[in-house]
Amino acid sequence: MSPEQQIELNLAKTFPYLQGKIRIQRARRVFVDVEAEHFGEVFDYLVQRAGFTILCTITGLDLGATLGALYHLAQESGIVLTVAIAVPKEAPVIRTVTSTFPAADAYEREMVDLLGMQVEGLAPGNRYPLPDNWPAGQYPLRKDWKPADEPARPADTKESVNA
Amino acid sequence: MPKSRRVQVTIGPQHPALKEPESFLLTLEGEIIRDAGVRLGYNHRGIEKAAEGRSYVQDLYLIERVCGICSHSHSTCFIQAVEEIAALEVPKRAQYIRTLIAELERVHSHLLWLGVAGHEVGFDTLLMYTWRDREVVMDLLAALTGNRVNYGLNTLGGVRRDISTEQKDEILKAVDALEERTRYYIGVATEEITLIDRLSGVGKLSREDAIRLGAVGPTGRASGVKRDARKDDPYGVYAEVEFNVVTSDRCDVYGRTLVRAGELMESYKIIRQLVRAMPEGPITVKAPRKIPAGEALSRYEAPRGEDVHYVRANGTEKPERVKIRAPTLANVQVVSHMLKDGYLADMPIVVAAIDPCFSCTDRMIAVADGRASPGTLTWEQARMHGIEWHRERGLDFADLNRRFAGRGIH
Amino acid sequence: MKLITHIVKWARLKSPWVLHFNTGACNACDIEIIAALTPQFDLERFGVQLKGTPRHADVLLCSGPVTRQIRDRLVRIYEQMPEPKFVVAMGTCSCSGGVFQGCYNVMGGIDTVLPVSAFIPGCPASPTALIDGLVKLIRSVEEGEP
Repeated sequence: MSPEQQIELNLAKTFPYLQGKIRIQRARRVFVDVEAEHFGEVFDYLVQRAGFTILCTITGLDLGATLGALYHLAQESGIVLTVAIAVPKEAPVIRTVTSTFPAADAYEREMVDLLGMQVEGLAPGNRYPLPDNWPAGQYPLRKDWKPADEPARPADTKESVNA
Repeated sequence: MPKSRRVQVTIGPQHPALKEPESFLLTLEGEIIRDAGVRLGYNHRGIEKAAEGRSYVQDLYLIERVCGICSHSHSTCFIQAVEEIAALEVPKRAQYIRTLIAELERVHSHLLWLGVAGHEVGFDTLLMYTWRDREVVMDLLAALTGNRVNYGLNTLGGVRRDISTEQKDEILKAVDALEERTRYYIGVATEEITLIDRLSGVGKLSREDAIRLGAVGPTGRASGVKRDARKDDPYGVYAEVEFNVVTSDRCDVYGRTLVRAGELMESYKIIRQLVRAMPEGPITVKAPRKIPAGEALSRYEAPRGEDVHYVRANGTEKPERVKIRAPTLANVQVVSHMLKDGYLADMPIVVAAIDPCFSCTDRMIAVADGRASPGTLTWEQARMHGIEWHRERGLDFADLNRRFAGRGIH
Repeated sequence: MKLITHIVKWARLKSPWVLHFNTGACNACDIEIIAALTPQFDLERFGVQLKGTPRHADVLLCSGPVTRQIRDRLVRIYEQMPEPKFVVAMGTCSCSGGVFQGCYNVMGGIDTVLPVSAFIPGCPASPTALIDGLVKLIRSVEEGEP
């Protein structure tokens, strides 16, 4: 049995609701869909008991009616397992993972700024990557946001400098 | 003894020490940094959004320009993900050429870093020497790909240019020359006491912290974290060549210097193997315009560390989502940690030691003394404040200036 | 012109001091600027020196498209430079926004914010192109049309 198949087996045994939700794409690449309410326990299991001690990054997605968050976790062995969750767009709330992975701070803030995700438990801090004068409610990475929607240049600074 | 006051200094986004815009808010107590906040985003250009509006091949040219030093890294990391989704079998020769350019890129990047590091500690000679040698690689890359940077080498399903036998010979000759020069630099780095003293103990990052904060690339490897995507998650033809992952237990900037110098030597080894073992054959395979629905996560060991691209396709000519996590984003969180309890004068080299892809400065001093809200000082006020501060501690510069004036010292 | 004006103009032409500012670039042009100072291309033989502060600079050498975040800093830096001052747009992104045209957060080339004296195209602009551009700038100042 390959390591990837072993991981699949253990996951399905520990969390029976994951049966059929696990997909091995190729060597070292596994994808699993998890309901948002089960995310905490699956995540903790993967990090603490299955050796997925590296967080490569978190990808935020606009899936239409929902916002998705993909957590790309890796083992020292090189296997990457992507945990995919989705939350409704009207109430897109997820919990921070910065207590386990401090580096997730930047990845979570990216989702907040660009997709309008709400991350519970994220410590206050500078926004990233948009500028401070970016107007609220504008989420560039959402599918219905066009660059033409981009807010007009700030009114409190000069338009341009001409000698 | 006057109580130590904490001063906040903003360094960035335009600063001579840094080549890219980012902003640090440092809280200083005298010369020691007590707290460091990082502000990024000055380089945010909206690339991921733009990628959704362009075709995959157009995106190759866009994504190459995420970073102008590791452009091939981003381009290859991206196209690998797309090729996985499309189940394309990239010809062996193309993979060899891709890997070859990847290692040449690592060489030019590490030589670049050696020079910049030298410059940040006032060792400009090292900058001039290493960059002169770096031109050997730049000329080689220009001859092989048509440009010094942003090579445009990749296409969906392979590479756009082949290499000739003459070019292969030139590569081997260049590598021989560079290896000798690199040996010289390693000699300098290991024997030059002033350099060793300057870099040792600076920017400390313990192994535990490196793991906890997710440091990648040479920054992590210099703290003993033996992770390298070329070995752990092989892509290209890395599984077919022999090389070592270089680490150090020093956990400081000196360690990062040794790691990068060691990686240069390993890259020369890899390049030789690639040139000698390069198979004949086509350099591309036919690729569809529309990529079937699917997703892929691609990892690549860029010179600065692990680069991660996630691509989702939706059956059209344009990607549904492209997510890029460049290595510097993983390492910047580490910088704040490394700056704490270090000297202000070490700040440029500590930042430079993660080999960041950013820099800049602005100048304003906000004095936060806990009583009033932070105000701004004019230059004259700052100057008078400095003179007073030193007088309180027994240093009177007016007097010193008078005494030195007579001796012709300025 | 008074003698002092001649001398000052001569000094500026013989030795233009440059401030480099990255306004959101990918870095390629920035590296090429530094490369232009290294032995293979050696800008310093033309008297060009890289300075750390706008107050010492004659030429503002910009790379990169202007992002929203950097725009105000760019203007502030320009205003801190003493007259006469010139702006050189290095690289395709500074000229027109380059490959980032139309991206949100990108305002376009440097000329959307500042008056530009010289445009140096290329992606990245090679060190030889930079030298060419700076020489042309100096020559045009000599001939009286900045």
